[in-house]
Amino acid sequence: MPTSTPRENDSVASSHSSGTVPSGDPSSEGPASGGPAFESPINKTYPAAVGALLSLGDESEVAKIIVRTADGTRAADQLGVAFGASRRSDSVLICGQRPTEWLVIGTAEAAATFVDGLDLTGHVSVIDHTHSRALFRLTGDRGRSLLEKVCSLDWSDQMMPDGAVCSASLAKVTVDLVRNDVDGERSYLIACDRSFAQYLFDAIVDAGQEFGIDVNS
Amino acid sequence: MSNSAPTRLPQQPGEQIDRTAPLGFTWEGKRLQGFAGDTIASALMGNGIQVVSRSMKYHRPRGFLTADYWDPNGFVQVGDEPNVRSGHRLLEAGMAVDPQNVWPSLDRDIKAANGLVGRFLSAGFYYKTFIRPQRLWPTYEKVLATFAPGGTVDLDTPHGYYDKRYAHPDVVVAGGGPAGLAAAIAAAEGGGHVMLVEHEHRLGGHLLWGDEQDRALAAELIEAATRAGVEILADSTVTARFEDNWVAIVQRSHPVAVERLIKARAKMLIVAPGLIERPYVFAGNDKPGVMLSGAVRRLINQYGVKPGDRAVVLTANPEGDAAAADLTRVGVKVSRIVDARNGENVVSANGSSRALRSVTLADGSEVETDLLITATGWTAPTSLLNMSGDRPVYHPGSARFYPSAVMDTVLSTGGIVGDGTAEELVAHGTATGRLAAARAAVTAHRLQAMTARAAPAVGDEPLWPEDERQALARNDHPELFRSTTHGIVDFSEDVGSKDLVAAAAEGYDSVELLKRYTTATMGPAQGKLETVNTVAVLAEARGETIEEVGTTVWRPPYAPISLGGLAGRVFEPVRVSSIQPWHEANGAVPIVAGAWIRPEHYGDPAAEVRNTRENVGITDVTPLGKLDLQGPDVPKLLSQLYTNKWMKLAVGSVRYGLMCAEDGVVLDDGVTGRLGDDHYLMTTTSSGAATVWEWVENWLQTEHPEWQVHVTPVTTGYTSINVAGPNSRELVGRLVDDVDLAPEAFSYMQVRTGTVAGIPDCIMWRIGFTGELSYELHVPSGHGLHVWQALLDAGADLGVGVFGLEAQRIMRLEKGHFIVGQDTDGLTKAPATGMTALIKLDKDDFAGKTELALAMDEEIPGLVVAIQPTDPTIVPEEACQIVRANSNEIIGRITSSRMSPTLNRSICLGQVAPEAASAGSELTVVLVNGRRITAKVMEHHAHFDPEGERLRG
Repeated sequence: MPTSTPRENDSVASSHSSGTVPSGDPSSEGPASGGPAFESPINKTYPAAVGALLSLGDESEVAKIIVRTADGTRAADQLGVAFGASRRSDSVLICGQRPTEWLVIGTAEAAATFVDGLDLTGHVSVIDHTHSRALFRLTGDRGRSLLEKVCSLDWSDQMMPDGAVCSASLAKVTVDLVRNDVDGERSYLIACDRSFAQYLFDAIVDAGQEFGIDVNS
Repeated sequence: MSNSAPTRLPQQPGEQIDRTAPLGFTWEGKRLQGFAGDTIASALMGNGIQVVSRSMKYHRPRGFLTADYWDPNGFVQVGDEPNVRSGHRLLEAGMAVDPQNVWPSLDRDIKAANGLVGRFLSAGFYYKTFIRPQRLWPTYEKVLATFAPGGTVDLDTPHGYYDKRYAHPDVVVAGGGPAGLAAAIAAAEGGGHVMLVEHEHRLGGHLLWGDEQDRALAAELIEAATRAGVEILADSTVTARFEDNWVAIVQRSHPVAVERLIKARAKMLIVAPGLIERPYVFAGNDKPGVMLSGAVRRLINQYGVKPGDRAVVLTANPEGDAAAADLTRVGVKVSRIVDARNGENVVSANGSSRALRSVTLADGSEVETDLLITATGWTAPTSLLNMSGDRPVYHPGSARFYPSAVMDTVLSTGGIVGDGTAEELVAHGTATGRLAAARAAVTAHRLQAMTARAAPAVGDEPLWPEDERQALARNDHPELFRSTTHGIVDFSEDVGSKDLVAAAAEGYDSVELLKRYTTATMGPAQGKLETVNTVAVLAEARGETIEEVGTTVWRPPYAPISLGGLAGRVFEPVRVSSIQPWHEANGAVPIVAGAWIRPEHYGDPAAEVRNTRENVGITDVTPLGKLDLQGPDVPKLLSQLYTNKWMKLAVGSVRYGLMCAEDGVVLDDGVTGRLGDDHYLMTTTSSGAATVWEWVENWLQTEHPEWQVHVTPVTTGYTSINVAGPNSRELVGRLVDDVDLAPEAFSYMQVRTGTVAGIPDCIMWRIGFTGELSYELHVPSGHGLHVWQALLDAGADLGVGVFGLEAQRIMRLEKGHFIVGQDTDGLTKAPATGMTALIKLDKDDFAGKTELALAMDEEIPGLVVAIQPTDPTIVPEEACQIVRANSNEIIGRITSSRMSPTLNRSICLGQVAPEAASAGSELTVVLVNGRRITAKVMEHHAHFDPEGERLRG
């Protein structure tokens, strides 16, 4: 197993470490770089698609941290984005994915730094979802057409503009989805339960055949 | 073939065929040639083929009537595909086209004998004739099946790729004639998403078979629609409209899919299907050579086909006049124009069953001819309006039905609402498109304002625009339905006007009853051609007007959709754990458990059990439900959910709990551990994970919103590995150095977090269902495979092996652990599990408390007990009944059974009536083969190590 990728999940637990279980070494930092590589939930290889109008990437390794709190707490103010919307803060993306739940996406370091900076006064929970959720990025103008083949939501620019966040059923799998255009090109981040990842990835690749879809895993 | 057979004309100015692209095809095995752009129908007629089918009941030879999608006579077999509409399907090179429902051939069809006894095959014939004796029905059915219409289905035909798409257009326009095109263009001018759906392969509607000016207008409109960004769906049909403008579109021509169903949620629907020409009822009206005016105009102008040499034209309108002009222009001798506007009429078409010879007119004259063209009026295809709640009303002055209801989100334009020149139709369409766009904008504003994720709605919501369109005229048209003679009304079902009159006389004189009794309007054309004539014939029979009789209600679908199209791509989600690639590579036999694919075993489950009991085994238990609970009120929540007490669980400790629904029936069970002051992790059964999450949220959101608890499912955030067996402590210890595994530091029913094989933040539980000393390791899933492999590598000298779900089940049964839903059922209340010590009625409240308080004193219908057959080699099948000795009275059943590799005997759990449930009671079990065996109720649930010495090890 390759061991070159640094772990990205070594700091989140500290945000609620006040109540962790007694362990042999409570200040455990885990292995430094050189630890075991993150295992992607996508285990297949896909043929190259020449002239594809869409690209699909697996970004499951990115840190995904859920912050749950009610409106009115200081943490909610710091998160600073309403339900259904997202914003970028430094190098993390903060998504209002439920009325009282935010998803922070970024590199392990950036996400941890952001979450560590939150004021946890009041009823605030921080849950590392990096390993719970797979994350894909679907890019290309025909992304909307593809989503129309697997989901019943309205993907128009009016109902799902850049930055919008929603929950949806894609090919019968519940996902959290963010429109997160890249350099003006339509792009979606799709997060689903890790156990469904391979199935959903394949369903998206299949739906994309008519447009040409290039998988960069 | 006679001289009067149809032939191909020289190039016509508006033709759509490409004469530089000839296409070879076969008809009844004979090689023929058509052109790209031909329909199968036009290609056949271009080759002189006039008779293409036999009618359904009487097997009369039939030729093309409408030569379009709705032609009742044009169904053919193409290769392995039956029921192809030859008037619509485009010709392809190499097509093998054959007639269907004929035997032995189209020319000599033996079933035509039905025609000789036609007067006995009246409406309701089947109901009347084959009703008794009932025992003969299977025989009748077999014989009748050979007479069933339709082509031949090849069961080996490969499945096609079908697709589904959802859309949320501002406006859907059904129909791409001049009015529909104009409406789409106007609607799209404001930038909205407009879908224009045209049933035919080309946009333009009747302009396509009109004159040069018509064709120029069509080209201009199509160009404007493309420029305006209209999404054009040709060879597609708006086939249904449901509540809230949920519009179903069948897309037949798609580059990838055989067929695609588009589920469009349209803010506005514009219905612009034009009009469908109505056949005329008279004696001999189904003879080959009798055609509608639209058919000959399409054949001449679009496909360059001359339908015959001599024609009589019965006309009641300008379209009929135009057909006569077209025929004359291309050299067909129009022997007689019968002008219905002057009271002239046709009485009968005469000739052999295969060819028309002459026509008898109302004035008694007989005219020799090989074609009779009729233009007697229109049917307004109001299907989509019917589906929207409209009941169209008959207008005698123009002899057709019109929409009557005013609807906010459904508008109509074009021929369906009135008559006019092309320019007038375009003007009405334009006004309709503008109105639709303005109304769609109001709806869009409202949707954006109410949806969190949407772009902000700008300004106040606009006012709902009123309908200020100028109505189209209704031109006078004579009422022509049936001549003085009787003929065919429904060509698809072979129902004649005489049948309708007879059925009305029998009492089936309501139009809805008549339709079902005679099957008129119930064939493939679904009333497009025959509804109005059916109503008119009934009105005449009842001596009433058409308004008084009313009409049937058109229901979905307008045009058929295949089952493949309805199904679309099939989505069947499956879940796998992070270790699945290892399982697959190492010979695991998969088992489907809910959506999960799990390893059932790796070849020998009994060996897997023995190795675990003797050495150490590891198993993948990732599907085990896990809920992260955080907040100061978690103990209150747990006390509410479980029957036992939770207020004093120490950090690092784990407790087992039984969860009941409000009726006291066992809902789920599992262990919950306290990870921190306000942080707990609840586990549920694998199959109960989703139900329990919903149950927990229900309590938090509806009963106790004041409790501060966040519940988050983390089931697959952790890959769960159970390490069980006497060597498990040694094995885990080799990979963990930051947690003290000594029994006194980390005892049974405790939980720790630490680093396993270099992976921090793992949760380790000293729990297990195998009855062995065991550790359940929850590893962050991105490293699950790494830890699994590390355990196998580190434990080679300890005899580590893997075990699957079957070994898990055997070992849990050896330990007597019941499975909720297998050993319990929908009536099993908590006391029946024997776990009365866990039911704490002295708690303030918990789910099911009231029922359980009563149940503690009630007679329990079935107690869960451990059972061992007297003969240790017999394993009673699960669900075998337990009966009272020497009787058939059922007193229980076996709920789980296995051969125990550890005890080398059969073991069971079962539910037994209380009087037979005490330890030592002898039971009688009835095996599936009827044999009765004896078995004994055991003292403990656990067949193995009842004191639990091994697991506490």
